[in-house]
Amino acid sequence: MKGRWDLKRLVFNLSSLVELGQEVTSSKGINEKMKTTLHVVTGMFSVPRAALLVYNSTRSSLEVLTYKGIRGMDGTRVYIKAKHIKTFKKNEPCSINEIKNNSFYEDNHDAFKRLQTKTFIPLFAKDEFVGAISLGNRLSRKSYLQSERDALKVIANQMSIALHNSNLFKKLTNKVTENKRLYENMRRIYHDTIQAFAAAIDAKDVYTKNHSYRVARYAVAIARELGWGEKDVEGIYVAGLLHDIGKIILDRGVINKGEELTIMEITEIRKHPQISYDILSKIKFPWKDVVDFVRHHHERVDGKGYPDSLMEADLSDGVKILALADAFDAMTTDRPYRRKLHLLEALREVRKCLGTQFDGRISRVFFRVLQKEIKGEVREAQIIPHLDKDFDPTIITTLLEGITAELSA
Amino acid sequence: MNNFSISLKAAKDVVVIMPRGYVNDLGAERLEHTCEQYFDKGLKKIVINFSDMQHINSIGASVLTDIVQKTAEHRGYLCFTNMKKVHLDVFEMLGITKHVRVFKEEKDALSFLKDIG
Repeated sequence: MKGRWDLKRLVFNLSSLVELGQEVTSSKGINEKMKTTLHVVTGMFSVPRAALLVYNSTRSSLEVLTYKGIRGMDGTRVYIKAKHIKTFKKNEPCSINEIKNNSFYEDNHDAFKRLQTKTFIPLFAKDEFVGAISLGNRLSRKSYLQSERDALKVIANQMSIALHNSNLFKKLTNKVTENKRLYENMRRIYHDTIQAFAAAIDAKDVYTKNHSYRVARYAVAIARELGWGEKDVEGIYVAGLLHDIGKIILDRGVINKGEELTIMEITEIRKHPQISYDILSKIKFPWKDVVDFVRHHHERVDGKGYPDSLMEADLSDGVKILALADAFDAMTTDRPYRRKLHLLEALREVRKCLGTQFDGRISRVFFRVLQKEIKGEVREAQIIPHLDKDFDPTIITTLLEGITAELSA
Repeated sequence: MNNFSISLKAAKDVVVIMPRGYVNDLGAERLEHTCEQYFDKGLKKIVINFSDMQHINSIGASVLTDIVQKTAEHRGYLCFTNMKKVHLDVFEMLGITKHVRVFKEEKDALSFLKDIG
């Protein structure tokens, strides 16, 4: 008869250990996982009251993670010193009577009373102390047999690994969050620095205040309309902000000259894309092609641009976008040598220069996004807010529709 | 997700609880909460009819252990009835049956509880 019971007990314990293994390796959250495993243990040994505590090294305390059969355990803490941890046998159950003379017990007498601890199992994952199991009396009031203590040790091993893994995951998650925060801070500083450069560039030319900022915005509008990903959009935004950085070393008198420039002065001014390139090519940008966009923003599709006189086929979309955005802003703002064009005139000018100065496909996209902005069909307008408000939306829309229809034909 | 449910029959000072399905995950805690609610209302006699219970594991045993403990705390009476042999064996092995009254049929338990007033 006893042999039959022993066999049944063995089968029950084995199947419980299998269930425990499944729980420990499940994808459940740590609280639910630990609550279930605590039930497995207490079910195996008929223990109505139990708790699982996790070690908080910052507070030098064990804190209740989950419990059963006891009320009001939230916030209960067992304070523990490193010298006590050293005395524990790893994952070995010990009767509370064995530690009653220990200062660890005396320091936490009330907490142990609330927990109704009769058996205390310190949990170690390898050499790291991760928590403890507190078991109350068994229904039978019997103490544990050696075979049962062995089973408890196996369970403690599994639970300690689960706790350890959860701690690692938490640390990793915290690290990732911290790194993300640092990355965002650095990104902000990076952008602020670029904005500061852009402001310095624009300050050089009294007529082109905020020119770089507007060019960056216009380029973003076209790139988004073309379906570019956000990272590439960010890249062309930065290129827009920095495209005239080479002007920083040009003579202010030449830049702001209110009359026709001499050939020497034109030659000087035309050096700025190359100078911009020379400055920016020292920087390793996280966005592709920024320096290429900057170097070629005065190229034309007919090959008559500068500094490299590239033909349409050699110009990337980014270059074509920046060239159009730059020229459009130049047309719609006052310059020392001429008054700004009205929006209607500027758009006619862009239309006139298709296939010579500007790329047809990119310009069509520009016209389309402008139409959308006028009609309020975009979430955040990038172009309209920077233009004079003296235009008639209906006339502009009609013009844009006419140009679009003409180009599509 | 869990294949566990309970139905109740309450009459005067006794409640009969019938767990159905698999008492093998935390869903089984509902059984414990139900008993607790009746104890809190002052009812002290509980019958658990296991005729529709398919499977019980250590988690289910843990929940029943809690119910046994709470019954003792409330000085109540807990009866198990209509148990399959396999379940009875588990409860005996775990020492649970020493703390409850086990009856073959639900009516036997009700008759016993009626007699004790």
